Amino acid sequence: MLLDPGMDLTLRPMKYPHFFDRFKDSIKNTWTVEEVDLHGDLADLAKLTPAEQHLVSRLVAFFATGDTIVANNLVLNLYQHVNSPEGRLYLSRQLFEEAVHVQFYLNLLDTYVPDEKERNEAFAAVENIPSIARKAEFCFKWIDSVFDLRALETKEHRRAFLLNVICFAACIEGLFFYGAFAYVYFLRSRGVLQGLASGTNWVFRDESMHMAFAFDVVDQVRAEEPDLFDARMEQQVRDMLAEAVECEVQFAADLLEQGVSGMSLGDMREYLQHVADRRLAALGIDPVYGSKNPFAFMELQDVQELSNFFERRVSAYQVGVSGSVSFDDDF
Amino acid sequence: MTLTPQKTGVPEQRRHAMQVRKRNGDLEPVDVNKIVKAVELWVADLDEVDPLRVATKTISGLYDGATTAELDKLSIQTAAELIGEEPQYSRLAARLLAAYVDKEVRGQGVASFSQSIRHAHALGLIGEETAAFVSRNARKLDDAIDVAGDLRFEYFGLRTVADRYLLRHPTDRTVVETPQYWLLRVACGLSQDAREAIGFYRLMSSLAYLPSSPTLFNSGTRHTQMSSCFLVDSPKDELDSIYERYHQVAKLSKFSGGIGIAWSRVRGRGALIRGTNGKSNGIVPFLKTLDAGVAAVNQGGRRKGAACVYLEPWHPDIEEFLELRDNTGEESRRTHNLNLANWIPDEFMRRVEADAEWSLIDPSDAPELPDLFGAEFDEAYRAAEKNAVKTVKARDLYGRMMRTLAQTGNGWMTFKDRSNALSNQTGEPGNTIHLSNLCTEILEVNNDDETAVCNLGSINLGGHVTADGVDWEKLRETVRTAIVYLDRVIDINYYPSQQAAASNPRWRPVGLGLMGLQDAFFTLRLPFDSAAARELSTRVQEEIFLTALESSVALAERFGPHPAYSQTRAAKGELHPDLWGATVSQTERWEALRSSIATHGLRNSLLIAIAPTATIASIAGAYECIEPQVSNLFKRETMSGEFLQINTYLVRELKARGLWTAEIREQIKRAEGSVQGITELPDDVRELFRTAWELPQRALIDLAAARAPYIDQSQSLNLFMAAPTINKVSSMYLYAWKSGLKTSYYLRSRPATRIQQATVAVAAPVVAAAPVSLIPALTEAELCSLENPESCEACQ
Repeated sequence: MLLDPGMDLTLRPMKYPHFFDRFKDSIKNTWTVEEVDLHGDLADLAKLTPAEQHLVSRLVAFFATGDTIVANNLVLNLYQHVNSPEGRLYLSRQLFEEAVHVQFYLNLLDTYVPDEKERNEAFAAVENIPSIARKAEFCFKWIDSVFDLRALETKEHRRAFLLNVICFAACIEGLFFYGAFAYVYFLRSRGVLQGLASGTNWVFRDESMHMAFAFDVVDQVRAEEPDLFDARMEQQVRDMLAEAVECEVQFAADLLEQGVSGMSLGDMREYLQHVADRRLAALGIDPVYGSKNPFAFMELQDVQELSNFFERRVSAYQVGVSGSVSFDDDF
Repeated sequence: MTLTPQKTGVPEQRRHAMQVRKRNGDLEPVDVNKIVKAVELWVADLDEVDPLRVATKTISGLYDGATTAELDKLSIQTAAELIGEEPQYSRLAARLLAAYVDKEVRGQGVASFSQSIRHAHALGLIGEETAAFVSRNARKLDDAIDVAGDLRFEYFGLRTVADRYLLRHPTDRTVVETPQYWLLRVACGLSQDAREAIGFYRLMSSLAYLPSSPTLFNSGTRHTQMSSCFLVDSPKDELDSIYERYHQVAKLSKFSGGIGIAWSRVRGRGALIRGTNGKSNGIVPFLKTLDAGVAAVNQGGRRKGAACVYLEPWHPDIEEFLELRDNTGEESRRTHNLNLANWIPDEFMRRVEADAEWSLIDPSDAPELPDLFGAEFDEAYRAAEKNAVKTVKARDLYGRMMRTLAQTGNGWMTFKDRSNALSNQTGEPGNTIHLSNLCTEILEVNNDDETAVCNLGSINLGGHVTADGVDWEKLRETVRTAIVYLDRVIDINYYPSQQAAASNPRWRPVGLGLMGLQDAFFTLRLPFDSAAARELSTRVQEEIFLTALESSVALAERFGPHPAYSQTRAAKGELHPDLWGATVSQTERWEALRSSIATHGLRNSLLIAIAPTATIASIAGAYECIEPQVSNLFKRETMSGEFLQINTYLVRELKARGLWTAEIREQIKRAEGSVQGITELPDDVRELFRTAWELPQRALIDLAAARAPYIDQSQSLNLFMAAPTINKVSSMYLYAWKSGLKTSYYLRSRPATRIQQATVAVAAPVVAAAPVSLIPALTEAELCSLENPESCEACQ
């Protein structure tokens, strides 16, 4: 079973080929920080209203530490307990992606915040910006909840571990990051900070894959041990998501404090509730909020993009291509 | 940026009813009825638009204490966000935006076209001649403004115009002209009297024809750089020449030009440098410098500079060249801002076919190769092979090229021999085309002292077609007007480099292109790959070329042939269809044309080039150049923001069948703009609305080859393959070469995981035994962008 304590080293026969497929697919999405051109953003930053500047400064302060927290949990908890060599291949790849994200946001802050003192403050946001500290506490609480478990011996252990996985997939990557992406895409829909948006596109793509993998793990464990997911656990998941929504709403209240036209706090709350319902649905739990997505610019993320090279670099190309020269293939 | 901005404008308390701040500073409560009324003003013929919906949605996004200007902008944005449900909201958003712009212009005391020119002239934006011209003809020109002109724009087109084309106040950045004033200003910058200016303005205002962006940006201004393309010959194999080229590229780029530059004359890595007795580092470090230079130059704040480097495949650094756009590897050997193109002699393709060896030769050992084509090149190349730096299998190198195309879309395949053999400019020895341009549609001779220049404009074919067919007389009339103005740009143009100024007056080339071919096919209900579509596209191109030649003869009759005319193939009686070996359909007109060319010559050495038209097609609301639609539903990301684009022909079709429902819209979205899975639609309708990804690419090449006899330069031909393999791509490009095409452009492919997700889905778990079946399925309710971010990144 997937969560059996130990270090399974056997790749053949492969027990979880869908994990291996995710590993292979993720490699095709390789991108590097150097491909993101943040240069144009500097002019945009100067043009923003004070209210929008406040939003951006809070947002990048969150980005400064967000991915590092996820990477830490991956190493300290996930990698330890997902006992499948192909699953660990995926997690290794995810760890690399988190590192690229960390580097991207490092580069972003170095570019956006040239003043050293201010930059250091941003990196210390977890300590000195209350709305971010509140989110960090939430994360640490769930990292700590399983930190002392060396092996998942009992059902309670496995439940605790599943809650950790669900927290990082549904609440942190699936809600905190999705909230943050919404601000970025809002700004892009207004035609500003396209460098940030293009990097975020790639981060977003990666994070969606991470979340999908984590839900795969949850589903797999449920299939192997259906009684783990009892009513009490369901209630714990609901409570956890409700707390995450509250964390994110208080963060939104801080970001939008000065009034940003086109993104009201009310709409943001509805959006977060909508996302939370979707996470619950992915776990087979009935929606709590019944909220609709109020942000048309987020709907736009579903539609394929067409941009030409005069505008920005194109991000859609493939890394892995196979085959050999031939003259009579159909095309 | 500061992390601790002052807390200005923080609303004191939030409990009272929401208020807005008027332009005079007073606060007033937000009134939904007022917003409804403001929207209703612009609804007119838009019967599907619901003003109350726009108003309530606008208010929900507002914050307390917002300004009325923010409220206006938000209502435009809100209307635009409803386009996916009902395309009429695009018109509404455009009209609200036009009203907003109008208010901004009037706010500066500008009430007429001539006042706007006077105001902009005082701000130092308008050239002396245009200012004087407008002041002389003020009354006539003011009366010519078509007040209904703005109603023709779609939202994305007008947004692009407002954000990037309208002249702005140098310091406060408010716009100083309305969209209609802008088009009339462009016309005035190119006209000799008011009647002419008004005629040209009306043509542009109808969106049936638009000149290229540099002309739309700069006509009538103080810097009248109106050319789109510059083709710079390879630097000589010496340091001074290389650095001169950097300087020239920077100057050309500054004024909105796209640049093609060859690099085949510069020696490769490891070649001896006699001056220092050291070894060369090859071309890559120099291209890295070029890359940085291009990125540094911002084209008047409107778009980034762009360049394409051309290299012949016998160059010793060709393999490193093909890696320049990879996203992994040594960063000092990567150029993310440069486009790459292969300039391929037939000898290479023949050896690929024969599976023969291919020699890499240092240009310092065979400096004549870039100037030769055809049999002369073959002979010189074979002779130089004994000094080859390295020998590779031609097929391996070709495979490497295909890999670059599939992985990066870049590394365009352009064919040197065909481009030269079928050019009007290469009638005399010593005149060689060394490269194409940034978009692979321009083919003009150049050399160390002369940089080829081309100014462009495109006919919107959709504006010349009704369900009954093509309006041929209107098309001819548009061509005649277009050629006169394209020709005139040559004399009025500001040339950013002396090499560019040296070439254009001698050859007077222009590039008349086409956009909206897909619109015409939709209107006439012709599937893109049908024989009827191919026939129509060919006849349209013949008509355009024939009329363009007739117009150029008429200009030659008045002003004389272009100075280098005697060196052209036309001077010997050879026209492009002859060079191609094509059978023309309008025999009598061609014969009459030949005799008038024999009498008067031609004013222009080249006339036709089909450019990609990315931006002007958006302005005109047309599909790009000769391309099939990429999707029935997609978005554009530009410097102005994100814009949903929906196929209005399809929407009309679905509405007529009662199928324009939320479910069908969701289905199209999930299929990323494909309608092939919508079984409610009959086969012929689905066939008509296939996307570029769903069409056989052979048909795109066949259409291009069929119209090519009537294109004396070339066409920006993109090819599309969702999941390219080396086998498919190599077969396709060999076919393109054998079809006789001179050039090709991007290979468009789609991102890797999207393909994975087409078969795999996401959502509510089904507890099942086998691990594989646990991969969750995407349910209707779950469907949203967020879990499918790959989908938004496709293509281009």
